[in-house]
Amino acid sequence: MKRWNIYTPEGVQDILFESCRQKRLLEDKIRRTFRLNGYREIETPTIEFYDVFSENGLIKQESMYKFCDSKGRLLALRPDLTVPVARIAATKLKDEVFPIKCCYIGNTFSFDELGGGRQNEFTQAGCELLGINSPEADAEIIAMAIEALKATGIEDFKIDIGQVGFFKGLMEESGLNENEIEEVREFIDQKNLVGVEQVMDRHKVKSSLKKIILDLPRLFGSKDILQRINYDDIGKGAAEALLNIKAVLEILEDRNLAEYVSIDLGMVQSMNYYTGIVFRGYTHGVGFPVLSGGRYDRLVAMFGRDLEATGFSLGINMVLMALERQKKLVPEKREGVLITYDIGARRLASDYCRQLIAQDIPAELDILNKGIEESREYAISRGFSRIVHVDSDGTKKEIIL
Amino acid sequence: MRYITIALSKGRLTELSIDLLEGAGIDCTELKGNSRKLILSDEKNKIRFFLAKPADVPVYVEYGAADIGIVGKDTLLEEGRDLYEVLDLGFAKCRMCVAGPKELEGKMDSISITRVATKYPEVARMYFRHKRRESVEIIKLSGSVELAPLVGLSEVIVDLVETGRTLKENGLVVLDTICDVSARMVVNRVSMKMENQRITKLIEDIRKQL
Repeated sequence: MKRWNIYTPEGVQDILFESCRQKRLLEDKIRRTFRLNGYREIETPTIEFYDVFSENGLIKQESMYKFCDSKGRLLALRPDLTVPVARIAATKLKDEVFPIKCCYIGNTFSFDELGGGRQNEFTQAGCELLGINSPEADAEIIAMAIEALKATGIEDFKIDIGQVGFFKGLMEESGLNENEIEEVREFIDQKNLVGVEQVMDRHKVKSSLKKIILDLPRLFGSKDILQRINYDDIGKGAAEALLNIKAVLEILEDRNLAEYVSIDLGMVQSMNYYTGIVFRGYTHGVGFPVLSGGRYDRLVAMFGRDLEATGFSLGINMVLMALERQKKLVPEKREGVLITYDIGARRLASDYCRQLIAQDIPAELDILNKGIEESREYAISRGFSRIVHVDSDGTKKEIIL
Repeated sequence: MRYITIALSKGRLTELSIDLLEGAGIDCTELKGNSRKLILSDEKNKIRFFLAKPADVPVYVEYGAADIGIVGKDTLLEEGRDLYEVLDLGFAKCRMCVAGPKELEGKMDSISITRVATKYPEVARMYFRHKRRESVEIIKLSGSVELAPLVGLSEVIVDLVETGRTLKENGLVVLDTICDVSARMVVNRVSMKMENQRITKLIEDIRKQL
C-alpha cells in the first residue's frame, strides 16, 4: 500500500514563517483599506451545498471539490466567494440600507490548472457593492480595486475595463446563431483576427457592423479607441454599453484614477454571471491577472431576490508573487530581545520579559540556558536585535547583534 | 526598459521565425550563431529569445515566463492554453486529419469508431466529443502513428497531414479534416496589456511581411 501521509495533495501548500508573515501583512493592509473605504467584513462557510454553485451552470462541476453530508446531500468546498455573498444578500441582508458594501478575505478551492501562481487552494480578498446599478457604483468598485492594489505595494499596475453588453449587442445586431456567437466569442477572447474573419465571412452581415466585429480583437488600449466607433453602426445594446463605459471613465477621471485605467472592448471571457462592466487587474511579474471583477445583476436573483450588484476579488497568492518578482517584499527588520539569565534571576528576567512585551517589543526568555554562544546563534537565527543578560543581583548586560 | 522575452519553437519553425524577426528589425545574430547559451538577446531593442520544445512554448507564454511565442497551431490546440493568438504566420502549413484504411472512406457516419491512435490526444478527444459526439478510446503514441491501423492497434488515427504521401504509401486515406494548421504568434494576456505599445508594434512589423 502506498503511504501518502508525508505529502500534501496537489495544488495546496504549507506556508511557513516568512511567507506566512508576508501573507498576513498583505492581508492586513488590504483588510484595513477595505474597512477604511466602508466595506464591512463577513465570513462565509468553507463548505456549502453544491446547488449554490451549480445552478444554471454557474460554475462547472469538474472544477469543484465535492463530498456528501450525513444525509447524503452533495456539498462543495467553495470555489468562489461572490456566489456565497449573493446567497447571503438574497436571504439575510433584507433590512440593510442600500448600498450594501461588504468584503471578505478567505480561501477558495478549485480543480483548475495549476502553475504560475495558480493553486487549487487559494486566498481571495474581495469587495461586493449591492443594491445599485449606476456608473457611479461601477466606478466606486473599480476605485476600490485600485485602492486595494495600491495598498499592496504594487506600483506599476493596470485595470483593464470592458463591458459584456458591447459584444452581446453587436451579436444581436449580427443575427448569428448561438453556436456561431460562441465561436466568435472564443476567437475574440484570443484576439485571433483570422479566426473572427473566417466565421464572419460565412455570413451576410451589414458591412459597417462587420468591420467593427472584425476589429474587436484590436479594440483595446487607451480610451481613444472609443472614438473609433460610430454609434450608428452598432445597434442600441452596444451603444448603451459604450455610453456606460464612457460614464464610468468620466467618474474615474474626476476621482483622479484615470492613469490606472485602460479599455478592452474585446474582453469577452466566459464568466457567465457578469452582466455589465467587467474589469481585470494586471501587473509585471505574473502571467495572470491579479484581480478580476464586474457587474452581476442577475446572480442574486438566482437565490430569490432581485438585487443589482458589482464586485471584485484579488488573488492574494498572485499579488505575493508579483511583489516578490518586483522585489517589493520588505524583509522583517531585526528587532526584539532574547533574555538570558542566571538561575537566581529567573523571576527578574521573567518580569523584564513581560514588561518588554507590554511595550510591544518582542521578547523571549532563553529557555535553552546553554551559555552565550548557543543563545547568540538562536537569537541571530530568529532575528532578535539584542541579547540582554540578567544577573542574579538584577544588573543587565546588553549585547547588540 | 524591460526585456520582452520571445520563446521560439525548436525545429522546423526556427529558421522561418528568425527570418520574420529579422525582417521586423530585431538583431538575431546571437540566435543564429552556434552559441550554447540558452538565453540570447538583442540589447538594443531589449529583446531576449530562447528556443524551447514546441509543446513547451505555449506553457512558457501562458505563465508569462515568455511574453511572446511562435508555435504551430497543432501544439496550441493540443496544449489548450489561455493565450492571445494574434497572428497566423502562414508557414509550416498542413492539416490536422482523421485518417484510416481506404475501406472506411465515406463511411465515417455509419461506422462506430472505438479506438483512435494519435500524438494529439486532446485534439482527438475534442473532435470526437464535440464534433462527432462519440466516446472513443484514445491511444497516445509518440511517432509513426500510421502504423496503428495497419497492425490493429486502432481503427483510425488523428495526425498532421502535409502532403499525404506517408498515408498513401500505407494504404490510408484522409477521412475528415479537423482543421488547418500553420505557425502562429501567441502573446501572454498580461504582457499584451502591460507592454501594449511595444508588442503591438512588433506584431505590426511582422504582419507587414506576411
